[in-house]
Amino acid sequence: MNLRFHWMLPKGGEVGMKTAQETSRVATTKASSPAALPDIEGWGRFARCAEAAGIESVLLSFSRYEPDTILVACAVGQVSTNLKFIVAYRMGLMQPATFVQQINTLSGLIGGRVSLNIVAGSSAVEQRGYGDFLDHDERYARAEEFLSVCHSFWANNGEVNFKGQYCHVEKGTIYTPFQAPDRKAPEIYVSGHSEQAQHLAMSQGSCWLRLIDTPEKLSPMVSRFRENGVEVCLRLCVVCRPTHEEAIVAARALLPSEEVGREERGILSRSDSRTLKDALAAADNVGWMNRNLWAGLVPYYGSSAITLVGSPRDLAAAFLEYKRIGITQFIIAGWPKLDEMTIFGREVLPLVREAEQG
Amino acid sequence: MSLRFHWMLPKGGEVKLDGRQTPREAARYRIESMTTSSPAPKPDLAGWTHFARHAEEAGIESVLISFSRYEPDPFLVSCALGHAVKKLKFIIAYRSGLMQPATFVQQMNTVAAMVQGRVAFNIVAGSSSEEQRGYGDFLSHDERYARAEEFLAVCNAFWRAKEPVDFDGKYYRVEQGKLATPFLAPDRTAPEIYVSGHSERSERLAWSEGSCWLRVAETPEKLAPIVARTRERGIGVCLRLCLLCRPTREEAISVAESLLPEDRKESTTTLKDDSQMYREGSSVKSDAHWLNDSLWTGLVPHYGPVWTTLLGTPRELADALLEYERIGVTEFIMSGWPEVETVDLFGREILPLVRKV
Repeated sequence: MNLRFHWMLPKGGEVGMKTAQETSRVATTKASSPAALPDIEGWGRFARCAEAAGIESVLLSFSRYEPDTILVACAVGQVSTNLKFIVAYRMGLMQPATFVQQINTLSGLIGGRVSLNIVAGSSAVEQRGYGDFLDHDERYARAEEFLSVCHSFWANNGEVNFKGQYCHVEKGTIYTPFQAPDRKAPEIYVSGHSEQAQHLAMSQGSCWLRLIDTPEKLSPMVSRFRENGVEVCLRLCVVCRPTHEEAIVAARALLPSEEVGREERGILSRSDSRTLKDALAAADNVGWMNRNLWAGLVPYYGSSAITLVGSPRDLAAAFLEYKRIGITQFIIAGWPKLDEMTIFGREVLPLVREAEQG
Repeated sequence: MSLRFHWMLPKGGEVKLDGRQTPREAARYRIESMTTSSPAPKPDLAGWTHFARHAEEAGIESVLISFSRYEPDPFLVSCALGHAVKKLKFIIAYRSGLMQPATFVQQMNTVAAMVQGRVAFNIVAGSSSEEQRGYGDFLSHDERYARAEEFLAVCNAFWRAKEPVDFDGKYYRVEQGKLATPFLAPDRTAPEIYVSGHSERSERLAWSEGSCWLRVAETPEKLAPIVARTRERGIGVCLRLCLLCRPTREEAISVAESLLPEDRKESTTTLKDDSQMYREGSSVKSDAHWLNDSLWTGLVPHYGPVWTTLLGTPRELADALLEYERIGVTEFIMSGWPEVETVDLFGREILPLVRKV
């Protein structure tokens, strides 16, 4: 199996932005941010570039600062042909039957090009603004029930009956089927570093999605998942330049002002997510996690900004090393959003594919 | 204000792109759409787009996209169809009890931004307990209205919001709720809200949280006082009806008779067990097929009140619609058999007569 490469869909307005500094997360949480508005023109352009670069899917992130991911997938799906959409959604926002009805409808409208990224919820404050008052552990217990109800609908073996602590369904039927050329249900990426997240990925997911770390650290965890038939996908950023030295200079040039750092640090340290805490600790305690893996951007761009830095050969070798320990997929981002993806498609991906053929 | 005319979006697969369909075939397709073998639950962008272009051409303002477990999700249908056609608006039917109001507002605002604000909301408290339980909703009819009231109050708070939303009710609780995506439309900061139903609860809900009360057509005499009391509160009234129009009355009646089921006991109304509207519908006697000269209810005992039909010549139908305008009705949501031919006919033969007056 070839490695599978996905990319983050930029937020609204970001496709046109040229510097990393403009797209830091704290900027997208400001009231005036264009991230609040759908950007069909920019996303359409990005989607076509992603298809040309050999990217399989884009991940659509969910938050109260952004448009609804299910509808964004529907709209961008109308203006693209091969690209798939990994739709992130949180639990506690709708009934599982309603969620299945929406996802199935979406699949029918865009030729089945949809997967799910289940997020239990990363901020208690944000969840309460949606009407969800459960704590971290309860959110995972609910996610377990939620996904098991969804799976029962997708199994399509007659009426669904379920009575749990959080979900209760009696004689449920959703007539609109999940339509895809090769599947009867979407792939499910479960993200999170906590024990509960890992357990959920094993029991209900098709893939565990986590932040990148060094191959040595990841290796035992990855084996455990693969033995259970669950894939592992890494979330990372890339900075690729002709030489290692140039890449390091380019990466360091991404550092924004200290003020942005202070605000982002506030978001990271207030969260009750294990993933966010882990990322901040990597940045503060380690910095360079190995020759090519740098956590230095995390305090400025958030937990998903752990970055693989290097030449095309460095990066291709790194991806192949992850493949050796059992990783099967990656979700990548870079700055500027479009240019870095184009570099990846032109310089890095052909080296990976060449090695995979050989 | 001119009368506003909307249409029901046909079911998936109902619009035939090649070949004609008799009124009876079109009616049967809809009746059988609630079976597992029907293609109706699958999205049908080609058929819908074809219909939507005809509706725009005919002068129709919006299409109502109904919600049930038998159909695709109306948010997604509007999003996809709104990309294909550029003028038509979408009235999205949704039930309360299926998602958090904040999530609902986020979806509504997202779809609005994608289709240039061409969306409105038809809230349905839920017409079948059995269907609701299949979605995970176990409340009774009256409780569903109490919840719908809270649901709309929270939604309206988000749409009005200058401040974070705080709400502590019996069914919903929100703390410091904020959504960045605004409702964007050329002329509005929140969608129009149609509240449908026949019970007093639905009428009151329309008054307190809605912009329009949506109900099935009745005779103008019966409706006049009800319409007046809703209009006094600044709320519009929209009637749901089917149209059957032919050059002569006799032809129209013979088409109507062709729609009656062979099995005189056939009924799909038991699927809506606790709706006041459906209880009223089932009390219509099968032999009393006429409410007045033009309102035909021959199909109502079998398939429910939304099959109430305004029947006659173009002139008779235009007069009937104008009579409703006289008593204060402001909008109509119509359908017919087959949909494309009927909407064409409406635009060509009936609407010009109405607009002339």
